[in-house]
Amino acid sequence: MTAVGPQAAVQVDIPPPIRPRERGTPLEWALMHLAFVAIAAFFLAPFVWLFAAAFDAEATAYIRVPGRLTLDNFTYIFRELAFAKALANSAIVAGATTLLVVLTVTLAGYGLSRLELRRKGWITFAVLLLQTMPLSATMVPIYGLARLLGLRNSYLGLILIHAAIELPFLVWLMKGFFDSVPRQLEEAAWLDGRSKLRALFEIVLPVARPGIAVAAGLSFISAWAEVLMVIILVDKQDMKTVPLAFYETFRTAGGYVEVQYGLVAAMGVLYLLPVMAVFFATRRLMVRGLVSGTKGL
Amino acid sequence: MARVEYDDVWKRFPGSDRVAVHALTLDVADGELLVLLGPSGCGKTTALRMLAGLEHPDGGDIRIDGRSVLRLEPKDRDVALVFQSYALYPHLSVRNNIGYPLRVRGLTLAQQAERIGRAAALLRIEHLLARRPGQLSGGEQQRVALARAIVREPRVFCMDEPLSNLDAKLRTHTRTELKALQKDLGTTTIFVTHDQAEAMTLADRIAVLDQGRLQQLGTPDDVYRHPANLFVAQFIGSPPMNILAAHRHDGELVVEEAWRIPAPAVRDHHGGTALTVGLRPEAITIEQDGGGPGEVLVSEPLGSEVIVNVKVGSALVKVRTAPDVRPGPGTRVRLAAQPGEVRLFDPSSGTALD
Repeated sequence: MTAVGPQAAVQVDIPPPIRPRERGTPLEWALMHLAFVAIAAFFLAPFVWLFAAAFDAEATAYIRVPGRLTLDNFTYIFRELAFAKALANSAIVAGATTLLVVLTVTLAGYGLSRLELRRKGWITFAVLLLQTMPLSATMVPIYGLARLLGLRNSYLGLILIHAAIELPFLVWLMKGFFDSVPRQLEEAAWLDGRSKLRALFEIVLPVARPGIAVAAGLSFISAWAEVLMVIILVDKQDMKTVPLAFYETFRTAGGYVEVQYGLVAAMGVLYLLPVMAVFFATRRLMVRGLVSGTKGL
Repeated sequence: MARVEYDDVWKRFPGSDRVAVHALTLDVADGELLVLLGPSGCGKTTALRMLAGLEHPDGGDIRIDGRSVLRLEPKDRDVALVFQSYALYPHLSVRNNIGYPLRVRGLTLAQQAERIGRAAALLRIEHLLARRPGQLSGGEQQRVALARAIVREPRVFCMDEPLSNLDAKLRTHTRTELKALQKDLGTTTIFVTHDQAEAMTLADRIAVLDQGRLQQLGTPDDVYRHPANLFVAQFIGSPPMNILAAHRHDGELVVEEAWRIPAPAVRDHHGGTALTVGLRPEAITIEQDGGGPGEVLVSEPLGSEVIVNVKVGSALVKVRTAPDVRPGPGTRVRLAAQPGEVRLFDPSSGTALD
C-alpha cells in the first residue's frame, strides 16, 4: 500500500460545480410569479363565479360578492326542475357505463396485448380508427339505430352509446397497460398452479390497477359530462340527465327567457362535485396510471 | 425427484426462419443439476420453457419420470421456474409471494406458515417476510424467487439465468449457496446460463448449445478438457482454448509454420495432413531462454496467475503461467505443450479428432 502523508498530498484546483441559476434576478422572480398568479386566476375564475353565484340570490353573468348568501337556488332546482331525478339518471348512466367500459376494455386490452391473433395489428388500428371519427358525424345513424332498436329514452340506450364512444381510446390505453405488465408474472402464476383466468384476476389485474383506475375515472367523467348524445336520444322529462337539465336551464328560448344565473350555477356546482369526488378518490392511482400507461402506447 | 427426458425436440417460432431448438435429445438424471450453456439465442431458454409448459414444441416429446408432459398445462407439470427477472408479484408481500403456490394448492394456514418459515430460514430471508418486492435489493429478490420455487417441493427446478442480475461478487457467493442448496434438496434441476464459469462451477453435467443444436453433453471436466468441436473449445474457458493451424510432418505437428510439438494419435479425417490444434492456456509452458519461435507481446498479471500473450507465426497464443513469470514485451520464448493436453480438430468440420 502506498503511504499517504502530507508530502503525498497534491494540490489540485477543483473548479466550482456549474449549477443552473435557480432564482434569477429579483425582477425576473417577480415577473415569473406574476405570470403564475395570472394563469392560476384565469383558470380559477370560472370556479369562483360558479361557487359565488350558486349561493347568490341575485347572481349575474359576472363575478360578484353575493349580497345575501342563500340556498334558494338549490331548493328551486330540486323542487321545480326535478334536478334530483336528473342527478339519479346521470348517476345510473355514468355508473353503469363505467362498469361496462371497465369490464370490456380490460378484457379487450388484455386480449390485444397477450393473445396470438391473426391480423392483430389490423384489429388494433381499426379500433383506433373509430376514435378518429367525429361524434357529430354519427348523430343521424345513431339516432336512426336507437329508434329502430327502441333504445331512445332508455337507460340502456344511453349506457350503450356512451360506452361505445369511450371504448376505442380506452381499449388502446388498457392494451398499453397490459403491455407494460411483464408476461413472466402470469407465467409464474401458471407454474405456481393457477389457471390462466385465475392468474389474470389474481396477478395481472391487481398489477394493472392504476390502468383500470384511469379507465374507470375517464369513463365516468366522460359519461357524466356527455350531452350531445343525450340531446338526440332523450326527449322525455323523466329521462333527462344532469348535462341536459343544465343545458335547458341555460337556454334563453331565442331571447324570450332571461337566463337564471343562480340556478345555472347551483346546477353547475352539483354537476361538478361528483367529478371532483371521483378524481380525488382515484387521483393517486390515476397519476400513477397515466404516467406508466403511456409507456405501452 | 424426477428424471427429465427431451426426445428429439424441435421448436421454430412463428414468423422466424430460424430453428430455435433443433432435434434436442437430453436425459437428465434424478437429482442431477444439468446446466444448459450457450450464447444468446442458442435456444437454451426455449428448451427450458418447453419443459415448464410455457412454449409448445413443434416436434418430439418431453417426459418427466417417463410420462409425456406435452399435453399438461404448466400448472399440472409440477415444475418450478425461477425467472431471470425473478417475476415476484409486486402487489404481494414476500410472505404472500412465497406462500402463493401453497395457497393455490389449498394448504391450511398452519401448513403454509410452517413451509414458508422453513424456506425463509433456509434462504435467510425471515426478516424480509413483511416487505414488498419493490423494497428489496436484487440479491434479496433472487432469494425470495428461490424460496417461492422450493417451498412447493416440485419435481423439477428450472432456473433461467437467475444470477445474471446480481453483481459479480454476489453472483459468485450465491452460486456456491445454490449448489449446496440443490445438493441438500436433491431436486432435479435444469439451470440455464450463458456464463461458462457459472456452468463449470454449478453443473453435474453441462449441455452446450449453439444455434439450437446440442454441441456436447458431458461433465464440466469432459467439456473443458475434451471439447467435441471448435465451438465448445472456444466457448468454454477464460481465456478460451488456443486454436491454431497446423500440419503433420515426420510424426510431429508444425503449428503456425513455426512451432513443433509431438503429434498425438488421432482418427482419420478428410483434411489430409492439415489439422487444427487446440491448446488450453495452462497446457502450454514457457521457457525464457532467449530463443524459440514465440515473441511475447504483453503479459497480463491477474494476481494468482499471469496470462502471457505470445505471437507464434501469425497467431496469438495465450499461456497461463505462475504469478512470478512475467516476460517483458519482445522477449523470445520457447513454448512446450503438455502431450496429453493437445487436442486436434478437423479443420473443415471443426469436430474433435481424439
